[in-house]
Amino acid sequence: MDTDGKTAFEEPPCSTSQLSNYLWRDKPDEDKWADCVHCGMCLEACPTYEITGQEQHSPRGRVHLIKAVAEGKLEVSEPFTDPVFACLDCKACTTACPADVDVGGLIEEARGQIRQAMPLTGWRKGVSRFFLHGLFPHPGRLQFFGNLLKFYQKSGVQTLVRKTGMLKAMPEHLELMEAVMPEVQEPIRKKYKHETVVKADTESKREIAFFSGCVMDVMFSDVNESTINVLTRNGNDVAVPQNQTCCGALHVHAGDRDMGRKLAKQNMEAFKQADTVVGNAAGCGCMLKEYPELFREVDTEWREKAEAFAEKVVDVSKYLHDTGYDKPTAELNTRLTYHDACHLAHGQGVRQEPREILLDVPGVEMVPMENADRCCGSAGIYNITNPEMAEDVLESKMKNVPEEVEMISMGNPGCMLQMAMGVKKYGRSANVVHTVQLLDWAYQKEEEQRRQE
Amino acid sequence: MRRKKRLQTNDKHIKNLAAIVGEKEILFHKEDLTAYENDGFTIHSYLPKAVVFPKNTEETAEIVSYLSRNDLPFLARGAGTGLSGGAVPLNGEVIISLVKMKRLLNVDLKNRCAVVEPGYVNLTLTNSISDKGYYYAPDPSSQYCCTIGGNVAENAGGAHCLKYGVTTNHILGLEVVTPDGAIIEIGKNGIMDVPGYDLLGILTGSEGTLGIVTKITVRILTHPEEKKTVLAYFDDVADGSQAVSDIVSEGIVPAALEMMDGTAIEAVESAAYPVGHPKDIEALLLIEVDGISAGIEEQINKILDVCEKRNVRSVKVAEDEQERARWWANRKTGFGAMGAISPDYLVQDGVIPRSTLPQVLGRIREISQEYGLRIANIFHAGDGNLHPLILFDSRIPGETDKALEAGSACLQACADVGGSITGEHGVGIEKREEMRFVFSDKEIEAQTNIREVFNPYYLLNAGKLFPSPGRCGEVKKEEKAAASK
Repeated sequence: MDTDGKTAFEEPPCSTSQLSNYLWRDKPDEDKWADCVHCGMCLEACPTYEITGQEQHSPRGRVHLIKAVAEGKLEVSEPFTDPVFACLDCKACTTACPADVDVGGLIEEARGQIRQAMPLTGWRKGVSRFFLHGLFPHPGRLQFFGNLLKFYQKSGVQTLVRKTGMLKAMPEHLELMEAVMPEVQEPIRKKYKHETVVKADTESKREIAFFSGCVMDVMFSDVNESTINVLTRNGNDVAVPQNQTCCGALHVHAGDRDMGRKLAKQNMEAFKQADTVVGNAAGCGCMLKEYPELFREVDTEWREKAEAFAEKVVDVSKYLHDTGYDKPTAELNTRLTYHDACHLAHGQGVRQEPREILLDVPGVEMVPMENADRCCGSAGIYNITNPEMAEDVLESKMKNVPEEVEMISMGNPGCMLQMAMGVKKYGRSANVVHTVQLLDWAYQKEEEQRRQE
Repeated sequence: MRRKKRLQTNDKHIKNLAAIVGEKEILFHKEDLTAYENDGFTIHSYLPKAVVFPKNTEETAEIVSYLSRNDLPFLARGAGTGLSGGAVPLNGEVIISLVKMKRLLNVDLKNRCAVVEPGYVNLTLTNSISDKGYYYAPDPSSQYCCTIGGNVAENAGGAHCLKYGVTTNHILGLEVVTPDGAIIEIGKNGIMDVPGYDLLGILTGSEGTLGIVTKITVRILTHPEEKKTVLAYFDDVADGSQAVSDIVSEGIVPAALEMMDGTAIEAVESAAYPVGHPKDIEALLLIEVDGISAGIEEQINKILDVCEKRNVRSVKVAEDEQERARWWANRKTGFGAMGAISPDYLVQDGVIPRSTLPQVLGRIREISQEYGLRIANIFHAGDGNLHPLILFDSRIPGETDKALEAGSACLQACADVGGSITGEHGVGIEKREEMRFVFSDKEIEAQTNIREVFNPYYLLNAGKLFPSPGRCGEVKKEEKAAASK
């Protein structure tokens, strides 16, 4: 071999430093990026790459930057923050990746470093603390907030506010969100406060514990109600542990991993007795399943517990599919389409189960959606923190929603709000529903028909 | 958001480029640029000066003309999936990213051609015409994300190129921005041949050293009437390789004839698309035949016979489209799957006469032992296009160099049996020196003379494709000689 030729390769100018610039505990996990060989198969799966066309906004680009900080080539700085926080956390890259690189996990770990290196200041800190520390982890306060909202909706203030055009002063995305906000009803955790277990309608076959979610239980308590109906209808005793709390997904997405751990511990305690933890919010379910990641480097004595806990968590659609459910006999004549919530499809690998449930409802005609597992842009509170990108992602999503459907079904509250905004913004007419709601409605109709007979 | 503060720079070139493409369409912060220091070849990293995103041919030409007037080096980049470093900014180039030029401009079914912009993704073309019964044949494994512009630059191949030919066989016309910013057209839309030199042939596969392609007319084909896929497992690599030779000597031209060895199988089976291949076999063959329905069955039977004769452990025909798709997803994500068993890999791309397959595979096994590095083989066996994947860990000091040397030794092995050092991945920066295995100095000079006609100031993608004439080694020798005099 011509060894002289080798000297023609210059030493790369920027790959010698081995000093990591991650200075805090709970560092991005080297084993995760070691799997990435920079092949680029993730590019087309990534919504932010689709929109920007820029490498640093692609999964492999983000992994490369996170690795570059660990190698001491870059610092944890403002310009590093942008690509890391612009990620939707949709995990579509994890599905596309031939080597199963956990890009989402790396992003969250990097966000933890960023928030420790550069804590939020000013009004951003205020807003973040108010929601993430002051509100979501406290069911009582959330309920109070819900009551305020309810008052706003019911007392005529909403009508007044809408008439005066005050909302025009708000950024467009918040105005739109106000417009599609569901009507607040009684949270199920309040409703079942005095019952430790909601008994199965007929014979009890199994007992499960229900994870009600925090915002879900205030904004979409009707979905929670439907979930309990459907579960009890199919022979499940449903426990609703009162000391459960927010899953912590929003905290972890925002880089607040300490708070994430605190909430994780509380939930693991709350569900200690349960063998199965059923949830209906894909984002929460996915977070619960990822608790072990939080204890990889910190509070490691919790890791095993977290692993055992994660094993118990299951989405309601998968649970029903696996344990069996009565096929409803009443017809709901409707044409619908199904949207794969990222944290259900990419996060938990649940794709067919909800579709099968929907198709088991007589009279349901399913129109397939192109790119059904493409993010809608909700991504937790991404639509509030990154409105521009979220809107572009939503626009791209709405183009794929078939024109002629009456309903869009899905399994995650964040998506429900975002898709409702999309329906409103693009002048569509479809109703946004949760998969279990359809099953519940079919059972109810069946019940009604039986009573009439 | 940071976006608003973006143009805080004193660099006049950045400001002038931003004036051409718009402030949002230029990157120049170190953090953003770091994402562009590699393409699919990660051994050498270099930061670009900036990245610009033109929207159309005119903007591209304006950028190029500005850069050329100001003596600034530049290069074009597509999806950045190239495996030989063709889009790595060796000289701190301004990268002209063509990913925003991603429109399908025209589909002419009657004349069986389509016009696309360079940033258009390979598979998207097939997806957008397949309901009409058409497809675009060249199918590199990265087709899910690689751009047709990049395919032209690298003259990309793919699993089905055995029967249908590589990219150059499917290009009918190009619009090109020359390195001084002029816009020229090569080839006429849909016309098979034009008089004069075959400039389409020269441009295709020139690895971005002659011009920047801004519009591409490609040939599209009708879907074959029928397709059948066979999967065969062998206990002995030699038997598998022999079967490859036998199939082709039988007079069958399969659409694809792929091979994977044991190490490669271990990788794909522990990655995202496992299909349950046995772990203890030495080789598998994925064979696809297509065409008009009559005759397919006969070809399949012949293939099964050949496999039996060569001691196949088991062989089966895909039962349905789903099974076929699973086999192909497993094969096509093979390179990325290496991440599951090794932190880094280096893929080589040699071509050899089919009949020497067992001999060269044996030599590669020796090289693996000599260097103490595992080598997986996933390749287009049908056209003798080898892809040894050298597995290494760049965190271990010295191992990257060892991998490079092992890769070079594999190419030497190919050259020794009368083969070539690249089939479809290009030379880039990776195989510059190995060009000497297959070309004499005169032959290289003949080619660099052509480059000089197109790229006289050598600002476009300099330092790629050919060994530099004054190699450090040679210069040193000359200096020594001069000193001793």
